[in-house]
Amino acid sequence: MRVNGRPVPFDPRDPQLAATRLLDVLRDRLGLTGSKEGCGVGECGACAVLIDGRSACSCLVLTGQVAGNEITTVEGLADRGHGDLQAAFVRHHAVQCGYCIPGVLTSCAALLERNATPQRDDVTTALGGNLCRCTGYQRFTDAVCDVAAARRGAAPADDGDGDGDGPVGAVGSANSDGQRAGGS
Amino acid sequence: MTAPITSMHIARTADDADRLLSTGTEAVPLAGGTDLLVQRRSGRSVPAVVDLSGLDGDPVTRLENGALRLAATASLTDIAAGLDGRFPALLDAIAVFAAETIRNRATLGGNLATGSPAADTVPALLAADAVVELRGRDRRRQVTMVDFLLGPRRVDLRAGEWIESLWLPAPPGAGGMRKVAGRRAQAISLVSLAWQWELDPHGRRTAVRLAMGAVAPTVVRLRRAEAVLEGAPSTPEVAAQAAAAVSADIRPIDDLRAGADYRRRCAAGLLREVLGDVPPSTPSTPSAQIRSTHR
Ligand SMILES: Cc1cc2nc3c(=O)[nH]c(=O)nc-3n(C[C@H](O)[C@H](O)[C@H](O)COP(=O)(O)OP(=O)(O)OC[C@H]3O[C@@H](n4cnc5c(N)ncnc54)[C@H](O)[C@@H]3O)c2cc1C
Ligand code: FES
Ligand code: FES
Repeated sequence: MRVNGRPVPFDPRDPQLAATRLLDVLRDRLGLTGSKEGCGVGECGACAVLIDGRSACSCLVLTGQVAGNEITTVEGLADRGHGDLQAAFVRHHAVQCGYCIPGVLTSCAALLERNATPQRDDVTTALGGNLCRCTGYQRFTDAVCDVAAARRGAAPADDGDGDGDGPVGAVGSANSDGQRAGGS
Repeated sequence: MTAPITSMHIARTADDADRLLSTGTEAVPLAGGTDLLVQRRSGRSVPAVVDLSGLDGDPVTRLENGALRLAATASLTDIAAGLDGRFPALLDAIAVFAAETIRNRATLGGNLATGSPAADTVPALLAADAVVELRGRDRRRQVTMVDFLLGPRRVDLRAGEWIESLWLPAPPGAGGMRKVAGRRAQAISLVSLAWQWELDPHGRRTAVRLAMGAVAPTVVRLRRAEAVLEGAPSTPEVAAQAAAAVSADIRPIDDLRAGADYRRRCAAGLLREVLGDVPPSTPSTPSAQIRSTHR
């Protein structure tokens, strides 16, 4: 098992660890406290991580089940090339309390990895398992569409180093049209 | 407090799974964990599990005559990708199933084994006449979907057995699945309907098969409605007759999600929508990436 590109310093097949939830191993053994526990039953997505690039709830995975897999948490997204996504969330003020954000970011990263040209509907679908009760989904969608466009070279965005110092002015861009996310 | 799982074994091959689940152990299969680990959290004791999620094999295998074999332990995401447009009813069911975070782990085997009358992949499999392929140590068994579903939360799964795959005859081009639920994602079906048929050159429907979820102790075929539609022209009168016949095919109950009366009206309305008799009123699924509806 590799977490954020590094092999873990323990045996995930050790009987006790194997039967422990991935979420607990990430937080308590590895100190990766970005992933949160909201509901513990798969509804909220605060615990979402990437398993071989796919978004999944780490509260519903036992560590032994992913002993041979590549796990990415929010802490590893920048190294995976998603610093620009994180910067776009900052630029679009797409964070309020922040509790949902690690899961939201990982689900958005998974979307961008398999779809370079996501439509607003696609973002809605990708976030079906991520509940946010304060920011709302407009700004998430704006940020994702903005980053997708920037990656295609269609519009200037930030410099991709994850520090959020990209050009100002992207807020209120063509994507921030206030349409209901998902539409149709 | 959630009681710990004290034994977790990982099956790498189907033979491993047979051995690890063989009678004498209290271990139960664990696949996506999206039902079992939720139940455990609400107090069910799950002392020992055998993980089936790592079994190798193609999610979808194409057999002679267009028949398909679907791996029961593959994620729904992998099944949808492997179907590649075939079996539209199951593709629709996967598109409206939970959300991506769940579809990436949840399996057909887990959905079937729960025996839930609201399980969303079951109507499509029942309408398609799928066969459940079971195995355990030194035994293999095939059971039709209709025989497999015994009652609410009860299926024909014996001690030590697990579901390896689903076999189904070539799915027809025309088919789909619709679900009515509280919202688009992460919602349990209040009523669901899967359908398939062939259209003859005169616009008559033949080989009509309809299966409905959450309206009876198990997912059920709508035999009376099917009989009305079989060989009949696609007219508003026929649609109205079929919708009226649904009532005798189902036995809905009141529960915390919906009343029996609402379910009855919904069931008839869903069929009329599917027959093109009234415009769709429930929001269509946004999952354009995996959805493909063919009427
Ligand atoms: C947030 C959320 C939303 C959901 N939304 C939906 C929905 O929209 N529609 C829907 O139908 N369901 C939904 N579910 C329920 C659940 O996701 C499904 O029933 C899923 O298909 C279960 O599959 P699994 O692989 O995760 O099963 P698991 O949880 O691993 O197992 C479920 C049961 O099946 C047994 N089992 C698993 N695999 C096998 C096998 N191969 N052979 C024999 N027994 C087996 C297990 O022992 C256990 O009893 C939802 C669940 C959550 C948490
Ligand atoms: S904590 Fe895992 S989905 Fe809510
Ligand atoms: S920012 Fe508070 S829940 Fe999403």
